[in-house]
Amino acid sequence: MNQNATQFLTLVRREILRFVRRPYNTFLPPIITNALYFSVFGVILGSQIGEIAGRSYLQFVLPGLVVLGAISDSFENASFTIFHGRWNDYIQAVLTSPMSNRSMVAAYVSASALRGIVTSLLIIGVGLIFTSVSVPNPVYLVSFLLVITTLFGGLGVIGGLWSSDFDYLTVMNQFILRPLVFFGAVFYSLEELPEFWGSVSLLNPMVYMVNGVRYGMIGVTEIDPNTSLAVLTGTTVVVLSIDYVLFRRGYGLAE
Amino acid sequence: MTEPAIRASGLQKRYGDVQALDDLDLTVDQGEFFGLLGPNGAGKTTFINTLVGLVHKDRGTAEVFGFDVEDDYREARDRIGVAPQEFNVDRFFPIIEVLEHKAGYHGIGRAEARDRAEDALKTVGIWDKRDTRFDWLSGGMKRRFVLARALVSDPDLLILDEPTAGVDVQLRHDLWEIINRMNDAGTTILLTTHYIEEAERLCDRVAIMDDGQKVEVAAPDDLMARGTDTIVLELAEMPRTAPRLDVEGITDIELTDEGLAVTAMGGSQTAPSIMRELEAQGHTVTSLDIRRASLEEVFVDMTRDDREYAEVSA
Repeated sequence: MNQNATQFLTLVRREILRFVRRPYNTFLPPIITNALYFSVFGVILGSQIGEIAGRSYLQFVLPGLVVLGAISDSFENASFTIFHGRWNDYIQAVLTSPMSNRSMVAAYVSASALRGIVTSLLIIGVGLIFTSVSVPNPVYLVSFLLVITTLFGGLGVIGGLWSSDFDYLTVMNQFILRPLVFFGAVFYSLEELPEFWGSVSLLNPMVYMVNGVRYGMIGVTEIDPNTSLAVLTGTTVVVLSIDYVLFRRGYGLAE
Repeated sequence: MTEPAIRASGLQKRYGDVQALDDLDLTVDQGEFFGLLGPNGAGKTTFINTLVGLVHKDRGTAEVFGFDVEDDYREARDRIGVAPQEFNVDRFFPIIEVLEHKAGYHGIGRAEARDRAEDALKTVGIWDKRDTRFDWLSGGMKRRFVLARALVSDPDLLILDEPTAGVDVQLRHDLWEIINRMNDAGTTILLTTHYIEEAERLCDRVAIMDDGQKVEVAAPDDLMARGTDTIVLELAEMPRTAPRLDVEGITDIELTDEGLAVTAMGGSQTAPSIMRELEAQGHTVTSLDIRRASLEEVFVDMTRDDREYAEVSA
């Protein structure tokens, strides 16, 4: 194995071990939270809501909850590990090594995307206890999950470099990401909104992600999935390029 | 021609109003044991961090074994092992895994990384603590571990930023022995320290830094030779006032409880002339003691801020 691959895989492995060895902090919360979502919104309230686009309410919200878990965890993983490493200075072990800036970014983003994917699978697993999905477009499902977890892993890198206190992490996750997801057509169809708010919702990037995953899982979408995938892929490339430039300049890492 | 281990030229770094590095030129040869001395804020740590990429210089060049620390950062960093002053250790993992990760970041495969991690822990004497997390180690073990982490990549240049700060005498000697063995095996050592004795005992050459500048570079013995020695002479009959001595190099003469104390440059060379002069004046010298200037005194003379020196000595 060449030196670059060894360096990259070492950092990926370190990142994976960090979250795998702390399941109560990483994997259990989305399982519990989503079991509660499915119980309350699906079983108790869902029976009164009826079908949306020919699907049960539980089937309709499941893809949105998968997106919510995937992006939250991929973002949180990257932002936390980088910020915590800066806060305690141990990221210097990586920074003072001969790893290339490209490898560092790739490792942090890959491990974070993987955590988002694992969380997605756990949420799907919990959802299948309450309902069933046919997954008519598995290629789209996999593609959207890969792109959005990579995108939010990349955004998490920026967040981790920008943060100068733990409060910053909370602000980004709770006050920016979560509202965008909740108003991203997770729990409702855009058709149910007044025309104005339906149009405004199209400015929310989460709408495209939720609809893309929904198309993959239950075959329902209000937006062309190919366009969504292309735009999200382009955005991901831009974000990863920014990550690379920030690492190369030592933003938040070097004085 | 062999490239020096470190070559810095016109290095500048400013933090706001503070000029941390001010046109610093410094060369450290391969295989050398080189000391950096200076009061707090002299720029020692800034210089080290520039070499390993944690500080981006404003101007000048810095090379490690001929590799520019910014343009060829991967080649430069691959040759450096650094034990920083502050404990910057990953607390999520047992210490042996922290070492394996560090080796892996240097491109060393898993099996060899494991072997190297074990070897490094044995070298510093904490192998039995391999499955312990850093936080649970004692203060002395933490110092040992930081050194082990610097060794695990088998560096050509070992940078030690105050490696014995706050450790007991026994551990200090243990660490000196390990570092000396590394140097004997050909590893270049760059050491910053507040303990002047450490520099005197270990270093081939030392640089004295102040305000981001290099004040002087020389072997510890050469530096001490530039200091003023004190020659204490006991006379058979002590005069009431200090005699006047017409000997070159004398800077002060006084009578003390111990005898006649003569302060002079190069005490060993000056002492015979002083004795001849005293005997010519009718005195009989019954004993003579030459007290050499310490590196510490030379250091204080060369740096400006005595207040900082008090902190250094504390």
